[in-house]
Amino acid sequence: MRSAIAMIRARWIAARSYRLRMIFSVASLLVSIVPLYFVANALQPIMAEKIAAEGGQYFGFLVVGMTTYLLLPVAVNALANEVGAGISTGVLEAILGTRSRLPGIFAGMIGFDLLWTGLRACIMLVTAWILGAAILWSQIGTALLILALIVLAYLPFGLIGSAMVIAFRTTGPLPQGVLTISALLGGVYYPTQVIPSWIESVSAFVPLTYGLRALRHTILEGLPLTAVLPDLGVLCVFVVVLMGVGAISIRGALAYARRAGTLSHY
Amino acid sequence: MSATTATIPVPGAAAKPGGRVDEAIVSVRSLSKAFPVRRSWGEFLARPWRRPERVTVVDRVSFEVKSTEFFGLLGANGAGKTTLFRMLSTQLLPDSGTALVAGCDILRNPREVRERLTPVVADERSLNWRLTARENLELFAALYGVPRNQVRGRVTELLEAVELHEAGSKMVGTFSSGMKQRLLIARALLPRPRVLLLDEPTRSLDPISARRFRQFLREEIAGRQGCTVLLATHSAEEAFDLCDRVAVLDRGRLLAVGPVEALMGEVRDDRYRLTIRTAQVDTAVRTLDGSGLTEAQLLEGRGPEGWTVVELSIPGGPDGAADAVARLSRAGVDVAGVEHRALTLADLLERIVRMKAGAR
Repeated sequence: MRSAIAMIRARWIAARSYRLRMIFSVASLLVSIVPLYFVANALQPIMAEKIAAEGGQYFGFLVVGMTTYLLLPVAVNALANEVGAGISTGVLEAILGTRSRLPGIFAGMIGFDLLWTGLRACIMLVTAWILGAAILWSQIGTALLILALIVLAYLPFGLIGSAMVIAFRTTGPLPQGVLTISALLGGVYYPTQVIPSWIESVSAFVPLTYGLRALRHTILEGLPLTAVLPDLGVLCVFVVVLMGVGAISIRGALAYARRAGTLSHY
Repeated sequence: MSATTATIPVPGAAAKPGGRVDEAIVSVRSLSKAFPVRRSWGEFLARPWRRPERVTVVDRVSFEVKSTEFFGLLGANGAGKTTLFRMLSTQLLPDSGTALVAGCDILRNPREVRERLTPVVADERSLNWRLTARENLELFAALYGVPRNQVRGRVTELLEAVELHEAGSKMVGTFSSGMKQRLLIARALLPRPRVLLLDEPTRSLDPISARRFRQFLREEIAGRQGCTVLLATHSAEEAFDLCDRVAVLDRGRLLAVGPVEALMGEVRDDRYRLTIRTAQVDTAVRTLDGSGLTEAQLLEGRGPEGWTVVELSIPGGPDGAADAVARLSRAGVDVAGVEHRALTLADLLERIVRMKAGAR
């Protein structure tokens, strides 16, 4: 835990030294949410009936989907990117030479990106609320819990991607595939019910489907946690199974790298 | 010890005052490592299932390093120095053999090994350039598990040790290469390691910075910090300048290991370049050849107009060289210059191989 906090602090110090980049990172969100507001309002009459079970307001529906989706590329890509950069600069070799344990190291590698993106998501949510999105702030605690589960369900893809980078120097098509499928079939822009039936069955295998549905039920409709337990249960199964696969992948990749010498070959 | 290794006899231990030299802190036991040879696309497509050939990078290497010793691993690029270091620092598994670091096995107790041995990652990019020197050290203090209440003091102490205390609050990106190298060493010293691995630490430094850096290594790291240091280098001058003992590696094999003085004595660092009037070269060679003073050998002839530079092996050190010049002078040979030629790695390897062939 101490390792993770120290690494997050170091990333924060480095990030804040790029002042303009930080300002643009937030400003770009504010710029993108205004057109989103107008497009959502224009589509409201068409979408209202289809999203009746998830708040009924398309702007709120869209904002919840997009703020959640902001976190997914970080969960899926950040660790693999950090590991790849760490191999080429020698940072990974230096860190693995310390006494810190792997979970702490990995948490430190992606912690800052996750927290910063989480903050950006909050800014986006507040801005949307100011513009009229029907967000129920009393449900924010439950919403954060669901959000954490969604991130946990996607982190294993980051672990598998990192394992691929350690062993083969590439993540392959995995991250892009996971993100594209999640965006299109996970209910980010439209409810999964509107997807043609045979593809809709695929969305049952996308963790985001359950996470977003639970999130919208709580933060847009005000349903209690107990009402979304079935969706959260499925999400938990995803977390447990995928985390297992991710952990095995990373351990296997490190063992392979220690045999093949790919851990520190530049 | 590998069967192919020439052990240079030890004329008295290369002990440092107060150092416990008889205790082996690093014991390398027949370590071997081979890597698959990368195949071209054509070869891969022609025989996709064929196992790639393997090239042996470290071949049954054995040696011991004693506590507080400054030990050099000398070899050309591809000799296996870095691979050996990576195995010692538990980043790479050997194919066979093992090594003990302060009694801990690199295969069975890698975590304990990492608590006792720290490699200095020589890549400057492994520092965070947007952080100050102090912040870089504070980050790694946490990673190394330095107790929280000791971090500040330890970081200050190390910044002073590497002479960066005044630059401690400056961004590392503004540092020179020499400063970054010193910061990398300070980082490795954070957990108070018993053994420090230095892999070609002066490779990115200019000659003046390299000399100052070597002085720093000798006085601060080996002297005041009391670390056992393993230095990998391809510079014979650097190894002989810094180390108590040296192991010479060539294409993964350990050719020789022993104290620097013994190694130097065996391979005879006795090459001199004499600038002689061209018309008198034959006389000079005859004079020295007939004197019994030297293995007179014209190795190279080139120089300013009317002069020739002759490279000779003159035994007996500076006294022998002075004697040779005196004889040339008496024989009427004009000598415009005498220059001792530092032993290069190529010379050293060539002589050790020749020496071993002679021993057989």
